Amino acid sequence: MDEQQAVQYLESLIGQTLRVHATDTRVFVGLFKCTDAARNIILSNTYEYRYPTAATVRDAALAAAPENLEESQNLKLNMTSRFIGLVVVPGQHITRIELEETPQPSRVRESVKAS
Amino acid sequence: MLPNNQGRAPTTRIVSQSVVPRDITEKFTQAASKLKTGQLVKDEYFTLFEAVGALEIMDSKMDSGYLGPEENRQGLDDDYDVLRDLSPGEVVGIMDELLCHEVAWHMGHPLSQTLFTSLYLDKLLWPVPRSLEDTHFGRGKLSGDKTEPELVHIVLRAYCLALVKCCDFVHTRVTREFYYEEEDFSTQLYNRELLSHIDHGVIGNLLNRAISWIDEQDTIDTNLNSAIKTRLEFRHEFLFSLQQDTNILQTRSVDRLETCLLMLPTLKESSHMGQPVPEAFSWKIQRKLASTVPPRPMVRISLEDALAHLKRLCQDGIHLNQILDYRGPYNLRVAIWTILSRKPQPSVYIRSLIQTIIMNKSIILGTVPVKQFLYDELAALVLPSNILLEASLDETEVPSDPRFQIAQYMDGFVRRFSQPFVDTFRSACLNRCRIRRTVCHTIVDWDNLQMEDLDEQLRTLSEEPPLQLPNGDTTYSYPLSSWAYHHKLIQFRLILQLGFELSIYAPEELPGMYWYLSHICSTHLGHIDRIRTFIVSAAQRSRPSLAKHAVLRKSFLLFDRLTMQIVAIDALAISLHALYVLLSRHKTLPTAASSQAYSNDQFRYELRMKPFLHITLPELVPYDEYSREATLQGDSDGIVMDRATKAIGEARKAWEATLSNGPFLEDSNGEKPNAPALEEDWTRDVKDTMRACIGASIAIETVKKAIIANRKKGDGAQPLNLQVTIPEAGSKARWHDWWAVPQVQPGMKT
Repeated sequence: MDEQQAVQYLESLIGQTLRVHATDTRVFVGLFKCTDAARNIILSNTYEYRYPTAATVRDAALAAAPENLEESQNLKLNMTSRFIGLVVVPGQHITRIELEETPQPSRVRESVKAS
Repeated sequence: MLPNNQGRAPTTRIVSQSVVPRDITEKFTQAASKLKTGQLVKDEYFTLFEAVGALEIMDSKMDSGYLGPEENRQGLDDDYDVLRDLSPGEVVGIMDELLCHEVAWHMGHPLSQTLFTSLYLDKLLWPVPRSLEDTHFGRGKLSGDKTEPELVHIVLRAYCLALVKCCDFVHTRVTREFYYEEEDFSTQLYNRELLSHIDHGVIGNLLNRAISWIDEQDTIDTNLNSAIKTRLEFRHEFLFSLQQDTNILQTRSVDRLETCLLMLPTLKESSHMGQPVPEAFSWKIQRKLASTVPPRPMVRISLEDALAHLKRLCQDGIHLNQILDYRGPYNLRVAIWTILSRKPQPSVYIRSLIQTIIMNKSIILGTVPVKQFLYDELAALVLPSNILLEASLDETEVPSDPRFQIAQYMDGFVRRFSQPFVDTFRSACLNRCRIRRTVCHTIVDWDNLQMEDLDEQLRTLSEEPPLQLPNGDTTYSYPLSSWAYHHKLIQFRLILQLGFELSIYAPEELPGMYWYLSHICSTHLGHIDRIRTFIVSAAQRSRPSLAKHAVLRKSFLLFDRLTMQIVAIDALAISLHALYVLLSRHKTLPTAASSQAYSNDQFRYELRMKPFLHITLPELVPYDEYSREATLQGDSDGIVMDRATKAIGEARKAWEATLSNGPFLEDSNGEKPNAPALEEDWTRDVKDTMRACIGASIAIETVKKAIIANRKKGDGAQPLNLQVTIPEAGSKARWHDWWAVPQVQPGMKT
């Protein structure tokens, strides 16, 4: 990928919804506005998602099956989220970037083929 | 003025179920690495200016969700257990702390730094409760595991819920009216709700239950017991008085606020029994709030400050009752401006409430239609018993009838003028800086509204005969534009006087600005004379009936009243102008600008006249003329001294007369408002002005002596041996905010 292609690719992402994972496990979901060589990413209309804390998980586990806390069980908990607006995620804190897509039939086929 | 349009953040993100994330980390990283240093790929409409406002994630100063290494283990949750047992003293401590936070919010601090730092409130309000049953501290915990202690469950819970509901009432009122976000008030709720859908009556019942429960407790120390009880009772009364809101127009009852006011000292006395529980409040809750700002520290105000603020709120709320009886526009204006000019200014809740009371759905004070209100004003000032106002009372339906046409024109006039006219009242409810700014804008609107052609059309229809002037010219009354001009002149004066109050002018500008104030006053006096002349001649022509005579007499009384007030302002302005000219001539006036400053008198004058540039009438005074007048060019010191002395004498007499006239006028039914508290405020204000007069005459005498002494020594060109200070607005030595009277003392030099 040469520079022109790189710019083209990044420009194609502008305005799309990205999920940016940070080193502290939080996920930021917002519209992609800007990036640079250091992979700093600016997102607008961003929501912050956070994994449930250990205490919340413990409480939920207690609520689900108070008598057998020791046994492993499957729990389903929502991530907590809040609106935080315009943010910049510095490149060095990014662990993963995902693009939100609404699959079109053709794309689904592609992904089926790929797997 | 319309209520603020709230750009609320979207509450939840809407995602269609079919959205799938695709990992692009590698491709993105690869592409980004190809960019040159400093090269940006960005949305073409996204500016760097905006980018500066972005919050930097993982930066502890910017990112409210950031957890430092030491906090990471603990996570978001504070260790505090809201279900723990509390001692009665701790309950009192928490209640008082909550009250402080509540008042800090009233004062304008955001909820995130005040009430939303309470872990108790956080538990009640998040996740947003669907019903009253959801609002308890044990939410999300197992019910059988641990029961809530009764003191917490019955007493503290009821108190917290009632407090939140109080905030809901305040929030609802303020957001419906005109206010300035972050300047007056912070309305941001961070995607939470203030129990708006829960009925206040149910919460009132919980409070009552808590009160009777606490009555039954005999294990609690009696003093502590009654401290808790008083707090609950106060909350109950406060809740219901805020709930009353605009219903005061019907009930005319302020009993509950009066009870609140009586309870405040008890709250203060028993506050020492409270045991603070600092762990129950945490600014870390900010990281759970939907917020687009960096984390900020908790706001702390003292209980004394909080109670003092509440005391004023209650008092202002009680005195509100005195503006509700409609006794004509003049009296309403006096009452509104008097209550809102109190120092410190009434809280934003009271100011919002007054805005609604002044006009709601085109009805003034809940009883008078806006058209009637405007007609009353016109009848009193420019059109006593005139066909223009009576035409609409006739049921003439023949389109060719002049009366029908007059009514049509007048309806158009009412449509255009009623809102700006009501806004001259409502603008008093803004904060002081904003009043001045708003008037600077609306004055241009009034200039555009002043329509002579409408007067000309009406004149042909009403067959108004011209008035012959002494020099042989003829002229007409132009009643509607005369009235608009009258209001414009009032606004000119307000802009200048608020300028003094807000310390806008530098000391070197004071001579000029007081000259300009007197210039506006004399223009205004001339204008009132003109209106009076036309009314007199119309009366002579028509030989009015007895009833109409009474109406005319009322108008003349109003003119006398207005004239006296303007004369009083004019005279004091003239004397201060002369005094400042003397100080400036003898180089004893302090200056704000240094000698090398780029600014000069002309630039400053241009800046001050900016709001008036687009005004056609009164005409702008050219700088040269202003400069001549403002420095009293050509007048010797002796003449200027005489001028100052004479004017200050006039001013004292005129202010005394104003004081004895009192604030209010009898309305058309011969009734005056019954507003003792406002009368007291008004009287204090006039008396302060009279103190300013006395201060000015002392200063004039001191300057006079110094000038004469200098002349005797033969060094008239030397600066006077005087120390001149201009007391800050709001300070004790400044007798009145609108009158910057210098303090002049014989200097130390020999």
